[in-house]
Amino acid sequence: MKRRDALKSTTLLIGGTFLASTGIFAACRPGERQERRQALSVDDENLIEEIADTLLPTTTSSPGARAAGAGAAINLLLTDCYDREAQGRAVHGLAELRERSEARFGRPFASLGVAQREQLLREIDAESRERPDHWFPLVRQLSLRAYFSSEVGMTKALRYVLVPGRWTGCVPLAPGQPAWA
Amino acid sequence: MTMSSTYDAIVVGSGISGGWAAKELCEKGLKTLVLERGRSVEHIKDYPTANLMPWQLPHRGAMPKKVLEENPLISKAAGYGEDTAHFFVKDADHPYVQEKPFDWIRGYQVGGKSLIWGRACQRWSRHEFTAPERHGYGMSWPIGYDDVAPWYSHVERFIGVCGNADGLEAMPDGEFLPPFDFNCAERHLRNRLRAHYRDRHVVQGRWAHLSQPKQIHLDQGRGTCQARNLCMRGCPYGGYFSSNSSTLPWALRTGNLTIRPDSVVHSVLLDPSGARAKGVLVIDAKTHAVHEYRARVVFMNASALNTNLILLNSTPSRFPHGLGNDHGLLGRYVCFHDYRASANGTLDGFEDQYFYGRNPTECILVNFRNVGERTMDFVGGYTTFTGGYRTRGIASAERVGSAYKDAQTKPGPWGLYMYMQGETIPKVENHVRLHDTRRDEWGIPLLVTSVGYDDNDERMIRDWRAQAKEMLEVAGCREVETRDNGQAPGLDIHEMGGCRMGRDATMSMLNEWNQLHAVPNVFVTDGACMTSTGNQSPSILYMALTARAANHAVEELKRRNL
Repeated sequence: MKRRDALKSTTLLIGGTFLASTGIFAACRPGERQERRQALSVDDENLIEEIADTLLPTTTSSPGARAAGAGAAINLLLTDCYDREAQGRAVHGLAELRERSEARFGRPFASLGVAQREQLLREIDAESRERPDHWFPLVRQLSLRAYFSSEVGMTKALRYVLVPGRWTGCVPLAPGQPAWA
Repeated sequence: MTMSSTYDAIVVGSGISGGWAAKELCEKGLKTLVLERGRSVEHIKDYPTANLMPWQLPHRGAMPKKVLEENPLISKAAGYGEDTAHFFVKDADHPYVQEKPFDWIRGYQVGGKSLIWGRACQRWSRHEFTAPERHGYGMSWPIGYDDVAPWYSHVERFIGVCGNADGLEAMPDGEFLPPFDFNCAERHLRNRLRAHYRDRHVVQGRWAHLSQPKQIHLDQGRGTCQARNLCMRGCPYGGYFSSNSSTLPWALRTGNLTIRPDSVVHSVLLDPSGARAKGVLVIDAKTHAVHEYRARVVFMNASALNTNLILLNSTPSRFPHGLGNDHGLLGRYVCFHDYRASANGTLDGFEDQYFYGRNPTECILVNFRNVGERTMDFVGGYTTFTGGYRTRGIASAERVGSAYKDAQTKPGPWGLYMYMQGETIPKVENHVRLHDTRRDEWGIPLLVTSVGYDDNDERMIRDWRAQAKEMLEVAGCREVETRDNGQAPGLDIHEMGGCRMGRDATMSMLNEWNQLHAVPNVFVTDGACMTSTGNQSPSILYMALTARAANHAVEELKRRNL
């Protein structure tokens, strides 16, 4: 449900007529998209959003990955922009995380407290650093990509101005000023 | 739209040079037909992505894998992305044959690649026109800097070029609007190189952007560049120059211009004299209906290689090997710019400095090789584009949670980058020709590209990489890396030649006014006309040569010489 809403709002914002007519975006016509097989099931999409939100949580300065709708965005990117190998690696990784969460804490990842979630991801991160084909760097990359390209990520965590109006080459950095998106 | 089939002038192509031909000819009162093989694109109205936020793009700007797999070639082009792909062709629609690897990047629409060009607008130095002959790697141009200088001014005033008057021999000053500021890393680079070398000048980019429009630009309906740096989507402010925002609407306003999109030009037609073109044969891109259009002069601005293709495919009995091609030189001496090498490094310091806006220009490190005298183990020179950037994200011990996220949002270290734009040698063996048997859907033979690098290019790349590394280290960068991406010719999108200008009709296709020696009412003023490549970005030279040739054509028509 959540995914469908997010996708619908994306297509609404784009404004269908041109994008559908160019052919470039033909693969992304709203009617077709909802029927297309996604790389992640609804459960997997929810779980990957929990991971993204653990990596990039809501803080005093900005909302986190869940508020940014990272799950749907990750699923769309993974489905359309990554190959089957990467898709399989992500799905396999999510299954592994489910097992580890149950084995370690006797509960699903989504119902763990923040400290336990972070602890589990830190362990997995440490293991993944010696294995370039590990699933966790991929999920991290997807999380960063989805979050920092979202409206929340670009405007609340970073700063984005569509029409700056002018270029000034050198200005003092204000204390605490986030980076430009 | 009603159209007569007879005009004073026909312009083949509506890109950066075709737009200029249309403007000049229409202003002088010639009824002009512009033929464009692609679809219509109207300024602002047909820029569907221009005002989209990044997160409003279906894949946040990334191209779906399927599109990339179907378009392995065009998707390599600079600026190609989810927000701009509609201004590039699709691979499957427009095949050609690569005898040697060559990435032929095309934008088939009204405005052509002027919508998606790089916008750098440096003038050639006087040395660049003469170096090929003086240094023994080519033929002299039939014209020199002084012939072109007034036309550079003419173009600069109309399109609007920002930049600083730097007083440098290797890159002459023009008529500039105010430049875009250096950022603090760029200023530092400029100062360090100035202190360490006598011949290394980093200057502000000379770019076709309205930093401060003048009346002539406002009259075109264009306004100040808003520093969005989303240029290749088409600019709703008219902040950069394109045919769509500038020359074409200007020409339309005269009432003398007709634009016919979806018009694939098959060939140029000769009259019975055999020494005059009478018009062109057009195949409707959609219906495949054949039309003949007639005019007193024909301007070829189809883009460098397509102009070659059309002339090669124009084979009346007088010219069985292509129009004006008695000597077999048509399609020969194709050349390009060498963009293979780049470099970057991390620059410590300036942590408390930042910038505002997105600079659509880049700084230029002016050519310092073989200026005047030959001093290197290679011939030709190179322009280097350079700039300072600030990365996002600082190092963080924490890799999960709030502290990690905060670190990702902080401005990171500064860096400096450089990349080369090297002159290449026009060589007879670097050529394009028509395929013997294969044809496109309009029945036109496919183009075969046979263009490659040579040892001179390799020596230049070696020198560039060594110099870039040294200069970035002089600037105080650490972790300096240089690389050679090995890209094929063509991806520079600066393909040139094949129909070169020259004094000697036995050694060239065009005279000093860009007229075919053998068919003087045909003018070739796009990249095909180039006798050599120089090291500067070529577009503004095409525009200047086009304006110069168009005005000559009008004078000659008045004198009844054409």
